[in-house]
Amino acid sequence: MKKRRLQRSFALIAAVGMFVAACGGDDDTAEEPAEEPAEEPAEEPAEEPADEPAEEPADEPAQAEGDVDTEVEEVDDTIEKTYGGSIAVGLEAEATGLRPWEDTCSSPCYNMMVTLYDKLVEQDVNGEYAPYLAESFTPNEDFTVWTVTLRPGVTFHNGVELTAQTIADMFPIQQEGATASGQIASANLAGVEATGDLEVTYTLSQSNSAFPAYLARAPLGMPFDPAAAAADLDGYTNNPIGTGPFMIESRDLDNETVVVRNPNYWYTDADGNQLPFLDSIAFRPIPDEGTRLDALLSGTVDAIQSLRQGTIRDARAARDGGDDIVLLEFQGNNVGGGMFNVLVAPFDDVRVRRGLIEMASQEQTIEALGGTGISLPGTQWFSPDSPWYSQAVADAWPTFDFEKGVATLSEYINDPARSDGKAAGEPIDVELSCPPDPTLIAAMQVAEQTWTASGLVNVTLTNFDQQTHIGIALGGDNGFVGTHQAHCWRWSGEDDPSIAINPFLAPPTAEVAEAAGLPGVVSPLNFPNWWSPESFEAAQAAIRTDDFEERKALYEQIMLTIAEEIPIWYSGHTATMIATKPNVQGINGWRVPSGELGIGFPAAEGRWAEVFLAG
Amino acid sequence: MAKVIASRLARLVLTLLAVTFLTFSLTALLPGDPAVAVLGGDVQNEELLQQVRQDLGLDRPFLVRYADWLGDAARGDLGESYINRGQSVMGTIKDRVPVTAQLAIMAIIIAVILAVPIGVVGAYKQGRWPDSVSSAGVQVALSVPNFITGIFLIWLFAVQLQWLPASNWNRIGDGLVDNLKTAIMPATALAMTQMAIFSRLVRSDMIATLQENYILAARAKGLNDRFILLRHALRPSSLSLMTIIGINFGALLGGTVVIETLFAVPGLGFRLINAINQRDILVIQGITVFIATVYVVINTVVDLLYAVIDPRIRKG
Repeated sequence: MKKRRLQRSFALIAAVGMFVAACGGDDDTAEEPAEEPAEEPAEEPAEEPADEPAEEPADEPAQAEGDVDTEVEEVDDTIEKTYGGSIAVGLEAEATGLRPWEDTCSSPCYNMMVTLYDKLVEQDVNGEYAPYLAESFTPNEDFTVWTVTLRPGVTFHNGVELTAQTIADMFPIQQEGATASGQIASANLAGVEATGDLEVTYTLSQSNSAFPAYLARAPLGMPFDPAAAAADLDGYTNNPIGTGPFMIESRDLDNETVVVRNPNYWYTDADGNQLPFLDSIAFRPIPDEGTRLDALLSGTVDAIQSLRQGTIRDARAARDGGDDIVLLEFQGNNVGGGMFNVLVAPFDDVRVRRGLIEMASQEQTIEALGGTGISLPGTQWFSPDSPWYSQAVADAWPTFDFEKGVATLSEYINDPARSDGKAAGEPIDVELSCPPDPTLIAAMQVAEQTWTASGLVNVTLTNFDQQTHIGIALGGDNGFVGTHQAHCWRWSGEDDPSIAINPFLAPPTAEVAEAAGLPGVVSPLNFPNWWSPESFEAAQAAIRTDDFEERKALYEQIMLTIAEEIPIWYSGHTATMIATKPNVQGINGWRVPSGELGIGFPAAEGRWAEVFLAG
Repeated sequence: MAKVIASRLARLVLTLLAVTFLTFSLTALLPGDPAVAVLGGDVQNEELLQQVRQDLGLDRPFLVRYADWLGDAARGDLGESYINRGQSVMGTIKDRVPVTAQLAIMAIIIAVILAVPIGVVGAYKQGRWPDSVSSAGVQVALSVPNFITGIFLIWLFAVQLQWLPASNWNRIGDGLVDNLKTAIMPATALAMTQMAIFSRLVRSDMIATLQENYILAARAKGLNDRFILLRHALRPSSLSLMTIIGINFGALLGGTVVIETLFAVPGLGFRLINAINQRDILVIQGITVFIATVYVVINTVVDLLYAVIDPRIRKG
């Protein structure tokens, strides 16, 4: 317990420091970034500062071990499902807004949003997309037209019926929305038309076999009442009207948002029970990780979420120490790490990128991040629990071998034609930048000490708040190529791989696009500015087919190229957790309407319709 | 006297102008683009980014934006949140001030309730063990950051004893007792440092007062010590305490940032931290300027009260 207190003290000292810095007009603190972008700055997965890294890097390659200990599984059928009761849920942050088309929605926000809105499409336990509010979705032959049939008899909280025209009327609002407009562009969505009472036709400007993935997230996938929205676009955030299992009762920003049972909800569970079970849920933002866990242990709240390995570790310790809590852990595809800006010397040379990665111990980095025993080492954009995971890629990813790394980097250092303009034999300069989280700083120090120990690298560490960190990599002022060098970042998610990979692989600049014969196809989200025509073509091919094995082979090819070229690097996969009191049941084991188990609780996003209080 | 008031008010206006300009400049100098924050980093193309910048007015020159903002601010309009669109900054401040003010007032009350007896005992028993013990305690309270105190309070009263909720806030409208249950721990955490400052002040003032001839006279008259301490010594020793309470109240408004975040209390500090995280510049500016204004106004009022009480200051 003392150790945890100490860790929290470090975190809070850092928070104070960040605030002071912000007031001083320098840096400011950062919050968990949005879920919507496929690639994100590295999150701070834990709060524990690293142990002192070894002076001399170990010679033996090492692999960190660990995993979550929870399976997505059916609710124990000996537990009687009961109606009624209220719960309080501690979230890591407040939702900036509750408008699907406008507000950036991250994990805490999604916990609220899925109570108020239904998704047209949900992911099942295998990660596949299944109809939810939609009854079916069907593509044409080349995946440029998708026909979605809506479930009949569904009404919004205000009694308005959900029809195909509703979805069509949402489209102009989505086109103007801050988040939905980006998704429309990314999905190449050209038009939405009501082609029947309950039949909606989505027309795309390019093939996209993964289009249903866009209907599983808030901006395009959560139906809202377009008439009510048009009447008060701003006010909708406090008076959201969806078709979800709960309705908004009160919204006290930064304190508590209360949702109450929707008596007209359309969905029944596999046993025929009308959902939802609970009378109400109060969502409370509790940003401090320790306080949130304490709120659960003290009974202030009934459930909490966390995306920090350090909190998972502390919750495990509390449970093992006798506290009566249940942990629902999820090993996500989302993987920490970073990227090299390959337009900047010396990172334009693969020998530099490879040498630096070979010299850095992934195990020590994960330890510094507090993920030992929890966070699996990353080798690709898919965790070993994912159906997209490739052992061939895992084998191809460079393992920690300090001497080999020194040799690889030395090739570049001693090359008279080296790209950074320095004389042969001179060390390279590396600026490594991460958001100012204590664990990320500890991980940076691991890299710094290892690289410096080689005598081949002059390392400069910088820290900027999350928004600045994103801005530096985005480079809105310099043609979206950024000014970063080695930059902490996070990769991937639970969505279809194309959502993250396609913008990552598109041409980074207009010049590259022109040269590649792809005029106008430029992606600001290609943060490393890495251009691989073969990988880009593979990514495009992967959305022209819905054959899983074929798609998996294409993504494997892309990941192998990344392992060869190393524009990015990985630390560990991000484990997440929802922890509850034992009487809170049903977060694990919810189902999609087809009867298949749902995806569970990825990224600490719960589905609350089937939650009930046992005993 | 009118001249003094005019002079102080002119200084107040100049200070506030400087504060607004500095705040505006510093937030404008912050690296990063608020438009990116609005888009959540999901910038699919430059046109979208430019559109958001234009919508937020960020495409205009700095001085134009400042002049517009200042003109609006003078009319009580601090703008609208970039992130929570439709939410006015002034409305946000109005919503949050009662929470933060309650915390600050409770912290001051708790601090005074603890500090006066500690200071009085320390002065009365100067150099003896009660003084040494209380001085050591005060030193600890002064040294321990308030968030550490907060963490300890949560551990003790929420996790171990389960007497109080660990986090969040019950509005007074939902019941005073429930409200106090959520307010007492953050207020106590805030109070500890203030208590240490106040008790040191009371102690040193009391020591000086107890040397006065009228105290010796009271003792010679056979009055009991408690009566002398509370009636004759404490009252004159409280003047500087009152002054420091006034000044520290303004500082406490700004000092609640960490405690409000720790306890998830929806006050000004918590909102400020969220605004900083979200790069919600107008909210950052609005809250910072508000806190600075409260601080400056309180200091000006204290200055004026000094001038009222002490003619030498008026003349000076």
